Amino acid sequence: MGLLTILKKMKQKEREMRLLMLGLDNAGKTTILKKFNGEDVSTISPTLGFNIKTLEHRGFKLNIWDVGGQKSLRSYWRNYFESTDGLVWVVDSADRLRLEDCRQELSALLLEERLAGATLLVFANKQDLPGALSKEAIREALALDEIKSHHWCIIGCSAVTGENLLSGVDWLLDDIAARIFTTD
Amino acid sequence: MLGYIWQYVYTSFLRYWLKWLIRQATGNCELQRICSSCKPGATRTAKAEYSLRCSKNKVVRGALETSKDNLEQCVNQIMQEKNVKSQKDPQFKASLHICLLQITGYSSLYTSVEDLRKEVFSSDNPEHEAMLLKLWDLLMPSVKLDSRITKQWGDIGFQGDDPKTDFRGMGLLGLINLVFFSENYTVEARQVLSHANHPKLGYSYAIVGINLTEMAYSLLKSGALKPHFYNTVQGTPELQHFHQLYCYLAYEFDKFWVAEEPESIMHFNQYREKFHNIVKAHLLEPDVSLTLTVSSKN
Repeated sequence: MGLLTILKKMKQKEREMRLLMLGLDNAGKTTILKKFNGEDVSTISPTLGFNIKTLEHRGFKLNIWDVGGQKSLRSYWRNYFESTDGLVWVVDSADRLRLEDCRQELSALLLEERLAGATLLVFANKQDLPGALSKEAIREALALDEIKSHHWCIIGCSAVTGENLLSGVDWLLDDIAARIFTTD
Repeated sequence: MLGYIWQYVYTSFLRYWLKWLIRQATGNCELQRICSSCKPGATRTAKAEYSLRCSKNKVVRGALETSKDNLEQCVNQIMQEKNVKSQKDPQFKASLHICLLQITGYSSLYTSVEDLRKEVFSSDNPEHEAMLLKLWDLLMPSVKLDSRITKQWGDIGFQGDDPKTDFRGMGLLGLINLVFFSENYTVEARQVLSHANHPKLGYSYAIVGINLTEMAYSLLKSGALKPHFYNTVQGTPELQHFHQLYCYLAYEFDKFWVAEEPESIMHFNQYREKFHNIVKAHLLEPDVSLTLTVSSKN
């Protein structure tokens, strides 16, 4: 292997990002992942375990981990924390009853040491549903303004229509890139 | 590249010349030869389907889209077009009729299954609610539900306090399959549930069931289930045959999971894929029949 190849490899490696997508069950994590990847989203079943997709976007290689959100799986979330560059927290904006549960799970995650450097993107999903709370309401309910430990942003979106998925991911990539690829 | 050219030349010219030659030599048309030389089931019906689809004759090709009630007439028309005499080949009419029932039945089965899948589970629909409660009673006869929204649903493997969100992609189809298995194979379903509730090797019974419904659905959609239905149903496959296939998958997946001893439920997709490949390999065998047979042990 020549020096150039090694340099190229390192460069490629540099342009790789690891994104971890979490949230309560039925938040729409898998639907976001599939929609973003241009796949059919009409036949999705609840996720057992995890899905991983590697895709290219704006010259970055994104490894996106989508881990099941049901209660019995949440203890496994920590197995996926290592070297995460961006955390995508997905919220079902129409599920008012579990917003408190949602807030607690998120704030517990933000205390995790291995997620300390990660940028946080909150997707206020299901904005297409009539009973959905606005992203401002979600921002308040999850007490996002109290977060000082992470760069964060909240975006209202709909995984079914695809609305705002791109702008959310673009913000996340810009923030991560500004942190870790500054030498480019 | 050469393969493509050969295939093009074969399907557009050679095949017809060959058929014509053999027809002149034997006095029988291709459909007759298929019906007399292949045994009934997937081998015969799949060949007949291919022959019908490739036909240049509109009447013959149209048979694939004919409704069940008009099939008999359609068979007569084909026999007229192909100049087949009932006296000379008395079996042919019945054989072709069965083939056509199977072929057109498969498409209509997909339509019925798709309709059920698209029907969203609704708490406002008393029938849907009754079905859900029936599932509980069949699986947990000695335990009463505290209320409609309760953590107890987790005991039969739903994700949260209200199962309705778990039916998302598979709709009512997912629920009907779960109920069908519990109702028609109650002992086996409870045995599978007890494995699913194993503290170490366990998995979420209902959610895995819904994932297996998705597997059955996608196999049906892709056409991969044709050999199975052609072999097991001598006529039009109905919804109950699809539910039976689900029972096979639910029972066999459980055996597979227990035998594989996965490290944790987090590896589900990997084992699901492995199981999926096993099922797909079975479906390539000409005599395939995915029927639940209860083993005496366990």
